[in-house]
Amino acid sequence: MVSARSPVSGRETAGGTAALRAWSRRHAFSLLSSLGTIARHPLASLMTFGVLAFALALPLALHVTLTNVERLGQQWERLDTLSVFLHPGLETPEVDRLVSRLSAWPQVLAVDPVSPDQGLAELSLQLGLSDAGGLLADNPLPWVLEVTPAPGFQREALLARLHEEDGVSSVVVDLQWLERLDAMAEVLSRLVNLLAVLLALGVAVIIGNTIRLDIQNRSEEIEVMALVGATPAFIRRPFLYTGLWYGLIGGILAWLLVTAALLALDEPFRNLSRTYAETAGLLHPGREVLALVVGGSGLFGLIGSWLVVGQHLRRIDP
Amino acid sequence: MISFEHVAKRYPGGMQALSDVTFHVNAGELVFITGHSGAGKSTLLKLIALLERPSRGQVLFDGRNVGKLARRQIPYLRRRIGVIFQDHRLLSDKRVFDNVALPLLIAGLPFAEIQRRVRAALDKVGLLDKEKLYPPMLSGGEQQRVGIARAIIGRPPVVLADEPTGNLDPALSAEIMNYFLRLNEAGVTVLIASHDLELIRSLRRRVLVLSRGEIIDDLPARARVDAPEGQPPEQPGQGALW
Repeated sequence: MVSARSPVSGRETAGGTAALRAWSRRHAFSLLSSLGTIARHPLASLMTFGVLAFALALPLALHVTLTNVERLGQQWERLDTLSVFLHPGLETPEVDRLVSRLSAWPQVLAVDPVSPDQGLAELSLQLGLSDAGGLLADNPLPWVLEVTPAPGFQREALLARLHEEDGVSSVVVDLQWLERLDAMAEVLSRLVNLLAVLLALGVAVIIGNTIRLDIQNRSEEIEVMALVGATPAFIRRPFLYTGLWYGLIGGILAWLLVTAALLALDEPFRNLSRTYAETAGLLHPGREVLALVVGGSGLFGLIGSWLVVGQHLRRIDP
Repeated sequence: MISFEHVAKRYPGGMQALSDVTFHVNAGELVFITGHSGAGKSTLLKLIALLERPSRGQVLFDGRNVGKLARRQIPYLRRRIGVIFQDHRLLSDKRVFDNVALPLLIAGLPFAEIQRRVRAALDKVGLLDKEKLYPPMLSGGEQQRVGIARAIIGRPPVVLADEPTGNLDPALSAEIMNYFLRLNEAGVTVLIASHDLELIRSLRRRVLVLSRGEIIDDLPARARVDAPEGQPPEQPGQGALW
């Protein structure tokens, strides 16, 4: 009955590799036991996964919306042109020289000159007049250069350089709506961060509460394990693994939800972009964002269960 | 192996379970602890496995004061003590095999060895064919034997049993006692709390008699333990209680 080699009795004083093997076997047991807990109550587990997935999908979806809006903003900004008004009375050859000079600038993608006659025709069309020019003795409109800035350059530097050119009277930029879009994106970005913090805490609370119910259902098992010599770490471990699984799987489900939503929106979005002569589809969340969501969710699940199990073990300790 | 020195235990709420208990059990002994209900038998066993801590005095296990043991050392003490409860304390949602295997899983033994030792232990208590059943499917006597298998699977030097024959008929009780005798022959120190006087008498082992939290008699092994003349029954009408 009492053998010389008695691994259970006494402290774990076995040699290094043997101790390591025993340690990994204990971990394997805890891991299987935690998966068993999830599998034994499929409905309850599914509901927990669902709550976590929805909670995590919200900030992830907002983040995806934000990155897409930001990219659209950049595209529209590039399409937007500056209207360079020249001094009245400038002759066509001078204008042509200016156009060719400006076209050579690296900050400039394209220059489209609008003659006073063209401008007047456009204006009369907009005003609904049949022939505005006929009403005026002289065409008062100056030459206008529609300058499309090249992407990736400071708009302010280009504006300053344009002002210094001879013959340039004024430069008109209608960027207010773009500034508004930027400001909205900024607000949205703050909102994403706030929601991410709140919902990370939410994940810890949801998982902590699920683990708490699990512990209550298994308090007898915990006591018996303690009676036959399980260390607090051994008792705690299956619950920590369960918390980790909840977090990781919740995060992955959130990712799938957002991906499904993006796929559903892709077709109408492409139709919309085509009207702007764009062909790009929707941006999906990047790898580092997904790693952050799934890993962070797992981490907060671990933290939630750690807090609950620690508190419970202290209460049942003799 | 086990020493109590002026041990007292008062539960929160004022219940005085043990008032002043001193005795010593050598390694390899089999000792019965008897007395009427509430005499402190269970408390005495609980103090050894540190399921409770003494209010006063010292409990020594293998020369060490268990009352002073650090919390993180308690699991390792418990692995050296097999405990058998009257209510079995089995996990009803785990198979008989997994119940018995629990101490070995905690120790992190390889699965092949766990399987071998669990089968051997179940064979010893005659339940090898029930390893796949759940405890509620078993009779009281069978559940008690599963409890015994779980207590001895880790080969502890000391086994404590609290009323192991509590609700069993005489034939089953004798069978269970037989396991403990064989365990003791293999060198294990055994302490059994029981009020089955008939059975205890027939086994002629050392008997500690508890009454109202004190040891009122310590009858050595092999002595004739026919009811001593000078000892009046504690509660007339409930049978002789030494």
